[in-house]
Amino acid sequence: MAESRGRPGSASQRPTGGDKAVLTQKKQYFRRKKVCRFCVEKIDDINYKDVKMLNAFVAERGKIVPRRISGVCGPCQRRLSDAIKKARNIALLPFAAVI
Amino acid sequence: MRIYEELFIIKPDATEEEIDQIVEQITGVVTVAGGTIDKTEKWGKRRLAYRVDKHREGYYVLLQFTCGPETVKELERRLRVTDSVIKFLTVRIDETLKRLDKRKKHREKRAHRKATAAPAPAQPSVAAQMLGTPEEAK
Repeated sequence: MAESRGRPGSASQRPTGGDKAVLTQKKQYFRRKKVCRFCVEKIDDINYKDVKMLNAFVAERGKIVPRRISGVCGPCQRRLSDAIKKARNIALLPFAAVI
Repeated sequence: MRIYEELFIIKPDATEEEIDQIVEQITGVVTVAGGTIDKTEKWGKRRLAYRVDKHREGYYVLLQFTCGPETVKELERRLRVTDSVIKFLTVRIDETLKRLDKRKKHREKRAHRKATAAPAPAQPSVAAQMLGTPEEAK
């Protein structure tokens, strides 16, 4: 509590997704709760061959998007990162993309 | 016996015959060792995400087969030796398939339970409304 009061900026940088609305002292703003796309759409198989799907979870530079941003749940993120790494190995995805 | 998936890239300048020959060679290795080929898929020429051996394109081939672990070792050695194969990836998928099957069954079971359970709670709510209306009338 004391920390969030001291650095209100840190709260906005790190959405936890636990609360529907985040209240700070000065500003009141709502944040939509993030949900795991794989759980919602009931995709059990996170396959390394599905480049189109994997591309949505890779940043411009080719980095894996952290789950605090994408909202993917823990087990799914583990499978997703495995799949991305396999896809990189067989040149379906870049290790480091040049912009 | 385990189920594997082999995805490999052949040089883009290889002819159809060469590609068929490589696929046949791999199929031979698996079948001789007592395994079976379940699926052969030619993805065709695709752009590579990065340069591999100065190639920007490659011919992707996907194989799915059932065999023992020693066969995979031999198969990978063969692929490494073959000059026109520039990259390959072997993935063991039997456990993943098992997990997916389990999840699917679980989902179906839940959906079935939901479908049968759904009408049940609807009835009390209607009854509650029926009970509620006379009270409001008073």
